[in-house]
Amino acid sequence: MARSADSTISNSRLLGLNPGLLGGKGLLTVLMAGAFLWSLTAVAWREPVLHPGGLGSLAEILRAAVTPEMSPSFLALTLESAWTTVAYAVAGICLAAPLGLVLGAAASGVLFRSRGLAVPAVAGLRFLLGVMRAIHELVWAWLFVAALGLSPMAAILALAVPYGGILGRIFADILNDVPEEPLTALRASGASELKVLLYGRLPMALPDMLGYGFYRLECAIRAVAIMGFVGVGGLGLQVQLSFDDLLYREVWTLLYAIIGLVALVDAWSSWVRRSLVT
Amino acid sequence: MSASPAAISLEAVGKSYADTVALAPLSLEVGRGERVAVLGPSGSGKTTLLHLVAGVVRPDGGTVTLSGHDLAGLRPGRELAALVGVIHQQLDLVPHLPVVHNVLAGRLGEWGLWRSLLSLVSARDRGLAVAAVERVGIADKLYERTSRLSGGEQQRVALARLLVQRPGIVVADEPVASLDPTRGDDIVRLLTGIVAESGNTLIASLHSVDLARRYFTRAIGLRDGRLRFDVAMNELEVGTLRRLYDLE
Repeated sequence: MARSADSTISNSRLLGLNPGLLGGKGLLTVLMAGAFLWSLTAVAWREPVLHPGGLGSLAEILRAAVTPEMSPSFLALTLESAWTTVAYAVAGICLAAPLGLVLGAAASGVLFRSRGLAVPAVAGLRFLLGVMRAIHELVWAWLFVAALGLSPMAAILALAVPYGGILGRIFADILNDVPEEPLTALRASGASELKVLLYGRLPMALPDMLGYGFYRLECAIRAVAIMGFVGVGGLGLQVQLSFDDLLYREVWTLLYAIIGLVALVDAWSSWVRRSLVT
Repeated sequence: MSASPAAISLEAVGKSYADTVALAPLSLEVGRGERVAVLGPSGSGKTTLLHLVAGVVRPDGGTVTLSGHDLAGLRPGRELAALVGVIHQQLDLVPHLPVVHNVLAGRLGEWGLWRSLLSLVSARDRGLAVAAVERVGIADKLYERTSRLSGGEQQRVALARLLVQRPGIVVADEPVASLDPTRGDDIVRLLTGIVAESGNTLIASLHSVDLARRYFTRAIGLRDGRLRFDVAMNELEVGTLRRLYDLE
């Protein structure tokens, strides 16, 4: 009784705060406008805002976009680099996916029957997944290069750890969100939680998990493309080299290759999903 | 009465959720081979009663005994699955799996983990599955994706799973609620036939009094979580039913 009276009071207090919050919004607007005006003082108004030669470079770069480098030797190099990029991305995802599956299945908490064990275990595993993905793949790359030297393994691990964290988090959510009725029926047939996972949760979650895995493969291709400096060859390294030599037409050829790869992965993904869903 | 224990025995079993009484404490005994239809308007406690019998829900008090085994002492899983099987509306199949795996899910209580995993690659105990889908009339659908089957066919898959699980007691919660009357009749005939030919016990909630009269041996009426009547089917009178559904 006393408790419900308390909550009524705090509810009405919250309601009473509402007009105050609106006032807070007004205050926020004033603060942000002030911040904007203050930021104008940081601009050096005497000097041109845009780099004077910039427009010229921009035009040159845009012109190169319609005339990419098409010489056979450069196309061969592009193809080879694209292959390397795909190989690293796929290798990274192939490590990240099982890592994410195992950690995600554990972190979803569905395998624990007793809550006493589930709560701390899930919290711990979710924290681990959080740490894995909080650190960017480029930072992981530094760490692994420091540990393993400039090697392909360093790049693949640098990709697998944060992507395993991301996939694990998403897989855990997907496994938690499947419809409950078929699972109840499996339990009634005598299935343990692990068998419920195998016969119920995983089959129902698979299309979504695959879709997200493919999306992450796209992201991995982009990520590998900027990992050139870790000793990973591939399109990223070539883009960097061509940019350094101001060979914009070559840069565009390579960029088109990256766009093509992402489109290919997308097409592959929808093909696989279609065959799974229908 | 024979010396063998009743199939289902409830003693002062009840269940409340927060402030609402889903089922007031009641006692009930169902002999082996009986087919009991649970009737009553929506929210009358039919599902709660069935869940208590199936061991899905634990009672607040009292004891549920199935074929002489105290339900409270049984671990969920294998032991329970050997005693009692459950069938719902068709929601309870895994739509993404081929029919064969949904049918063989009835073996999960018996199988070890390794065998269960292996069966997803290459079906174990295939003969059982083939016999079961033949019995329920969908032999040609064994390797079809379950989601591609019609509602009636999916309910047949659920029946095939029960055949493979082979429990002594079958609990059916509105097994034909989502089917048209003709298909509903087919499924209930199949269900009661399967239960009867092995001398097993069935307790089912039903919307349709017609189906209850045609295929069941005993009727239980529930309303507002209380037992209103418990009679042999041939003694069920129209007046009793009218009072149950409040048609006066």
